[in-house]
Amino acid sequence: MDEEILQDFLVEATELLDQLNEQLVDLENSPDDSNLLNSIFRGFHTIKGGAGFLGVMPLVEVCHRAENVFDKIRNQDVAYDAAVADVILRAFDKISQMIGMLNDGEREFEESDPVLLAELDAITKGTQNAAPVVESDVAAAVQKSPMVEVALTLPEGVDPDGDMTDEEFEALMAQREQITGSVEPVAAKLSLPEGVDPDGDMTDEEFEALLAQRADLTVEQPQKKTAPKLALAEDVDPDGDITDDEFEALLAQRDQIMGADVSVPVPDAKPTVAAPKPVERKPSKPAQDDDGDDNKAAKNTAESTVRVDTRRLDEIMNLVGELVLVRNRLLTLRSSDASLEEISNAVANLDHVTTDLQNSVMKTRMQPVKKVFGRFPRVVRDLARKLGKDIELELKGEETDLDKNLVEALADPLVHLVRNSVDHGIEMPDVRLTAGKPKVGKVILAAEQEGDHILLSITDDGKGMDPVVLRRKAVEKGMMDEAAANQLDDKQAFMLIMAAGFSTADVVSDISGRGVGMDVVKNMITKLNGSIDIDSAVGQGTHISIRVPLTLAILPTLMVSFGHDSYAIPLTSVQEIFDYDERKTNNIDGQKMVRLREKSIPLFFLANWLSPGSQAEAHKGDKVVIVAIGNQRVGLVVEQVNGQEEVVIKPLGIMLQKVDGYAGATITGNGSIALILDLPGLVQRFQ
Amino acid sequence: MAMQTSARQRNGLFSDQGELDDEDFISPTVRCVLFRLDSEVYGINVKKIREVLRVGQIRSVPGAPNNIIGVINVRGVIVTVVDTRRFYGLPSKVVDDYSRIVIVELDEDRAVGLMVDQVQEVKDIPESRVELMTNTREAGTAYIHGIAHYQDNVIILVDTDNMFSNKH
Repeated sequence: MDEEILQDFLVEATELLDQLNEQLVDLENSPDDSNLLNSIFRGFHTIKGGAGFLGVMPLVEVCHRAENVFDKIRNQDVAYDAAVADVILRAFDKISQMIGMLNDGEREFEESDPVLLAELDAITKGTQNAAPVVESDVAAAVQKSPMVEVALTLPEGVDPDGDMTDEEFEALMAQREQITGSVEPVAAKLSLPEGVDPDGDMTDEEFEALLAQRADLTVEQPQKKTAPKLALAEDVDPDGDITDDEFEALLAQRDQIMGADVSVPVPDAKPTVAAPKPVERKPSKPAQDDDGDDNKAAKNTAESTVRVDTRRLDEIMNLVGELVLVRNRLLTLRSSDASLEEISNAVANLDHVTTDLQNSVMKTRMQPVKKVFGRFPRVVRDLARKLGKDIELELKGEETDLDKNLVEALADPLVHLVRNSVDHGIEMPDVRLTAGKPKVGKVILAAEQEGDHILLSITDDGKGMDPVVLRRKAVEKGMMDEAAANQLDDKQAFMLIMAAGFSTADVVSDISGRGVGMDVVKNMITKLNGSIDIDSAVGQGTHISIRVPLTLAILPTLMVSFGHDSYAIPLTSVQEIFDYDERKTNNIDGQKMVRLREKSIPLFFLANWLSPGSQAEAHKGDKVVIVAIGNQRVGLVVEQVNGQEEVVIKPLGIMLQKVDGYAGATITGNGSIALILDLPGLVQRFQ
Repeated sequence: MAMQTSARQRNGLFSDQGELDDEDFISPTVRCVLFRLDSEVYGINVKKIREVLRVGQIRSVPGAPNNIIGVINVRGVIVTVVDTRRFYGLPSKVVDDYSRIVIVELDEDRAVGLMVDQVQEVKDIPESRVELMTNTREAGTAYIHGIAHYQDNVIILVDTDNMFSNKH
């Protein structure tokens, strides 16, 4: 198997699968959308083509059958209902699985699941057998035998408008041959090429060879009308791949000719049905004419590459050019006696260019959030069907751009939250009706950019959460005493569901999670320097919003220092800063605490942790930085707060990756290195 | 003694020609960067070395293993600097004018800095003079790839792969 072609195929197939995943669910909601249907059909077809070229037969089999089903649907012989959808989605899963295996380096495949194939066939046979490929050829063949007033009879019980099976076709061919044999004086014998088993199935090639023979023979007959010529549209490369559109145009031409010439009653050929045939001959790369995205740049494996708009690259090139100009200017300035004003102009220019360049380069890493959202229609559909609920999923702001890493990192938490909404948020249809709500529940998944953050929200119109119940459960679980629980405001009560241990068992029927708990979701979001906010109203629904920074590469931080060492604290966790005042602290159980607006917050001396031996507590003018770590707040005492700085996160070198407490390092304005603190890790290491 | 050796070895590069014997012309050679820890001479294959830096500002990383001195900024990349002496059971030493950081490439995107007492020269060592240590590895020789006896020197060839394998 050619690895390079295989990689191309995998990239293309993966994209198609993403697209199909969404389209298949869309189709269920709007089964009459013929564009969508055609697009899906083409999707399966393209995968089949590639798989066939690479010789992955099990994949071809599944694709082919799925294609047949969609062919039926396109002809409105079969309705795309939930039952059909289930089978098709299973076929889709099977295809994804095989593509995944190919991706993992698997090259040998077992036979496809016979049950699945049989089910697909069953759908296709629901009306009649599928042999759309053959049909147009029958018409073509019959059409070319002119002026023979003989009717070919169809076997009984066959719908003349429907598709023809191979058997039927062969029967017809046999009839035809008898007829032509008797009517035509020219002994027109069609001979099979040698080495072909006359009883075996005919391949397309053989069939066409036969047809060609036939055509030659008939041309010689005097009564033959001029053989109808099908002309290709102009500017079409006759050797190139045929697109569906071109093919349909050809078919239309053929139909006209047929209408004029043919006196032999034949089953009507349906141009749309025949479409797959020529496409099938394509090598591995059919044109994706509908996508407008014929950018075949993706030559590499899917995981490590990003597609970048060439205009964006031009923009970067342009900015790099600017940067070079500024450098040149600075170099000239250095060698001459430049005025301060000239220098500061040049520096201002440099500032400008680098900022733009930074933004542009950042944008190349951006991907639309659609990449994550794409999977949700399917998730919601499957879950809703399993639970017997009626749920409509609305996606908003799919085009919002997000850093590639974030896109990947957000997928799991979002799936969990959406599943929760579907599973625990939305009520059963009858319950909804009783409550005076529309029968169909609604889940809205939205993304929007908010300054340098992305706001993702999951909203459902389900039954909501009751803060009173949550407080009570917290007490029952022994997480806090009753007084503490009662002190929580509603929002804090909602946040309880994020606490470890709260979501596991049958806590509140609302939230009992499965798989990853909500605490895991919370941790993952925190890791991304994001935050979660929950709002809910009993009977009206729940709204969960997640804020994450636009990118993981640049981090807004608060720079603090003691001695000569500076440290960066991620700004998202910083809540407030105030002067350290020994008199306002007290020792409780050996732990220094500070009272802040009626709440006691533990204080930690960063210098004690990070440079033991120094006399941190003797320092004057220390600052307290209150940071939030999960649901907990702690105060870090530092010697100096240097202000806010956006830093580029760089990984620490080898052998330091496993040291807890650091998220990385960064290079500060003066060229020295500042360590970026990972607060949860740090507190865990020292507490 | 240490000063004597180093003085002679600093001239070594220029005195090579006269000292080669016949056998060395036939045998393939390994080109090594030689450096010194205390009085011992160590060598690392030049293919593995990206550059040699003067010791600048080193940022300590509290909580790191104690054979790590800290991290440095090598043109925007953070590189860990290790105390090479500790790998060979020598006590740490204060950085002086001769101290250098040898940046060793472990693979495409990982590099590490080795703090050494002094970098001496680049030398082609005939492979025939190298005695590999792999079969007789004991606790003390874990980071030694082999030993070369060449031109009155005993050169310890550093096994950088083993030094920074995943066990750390």
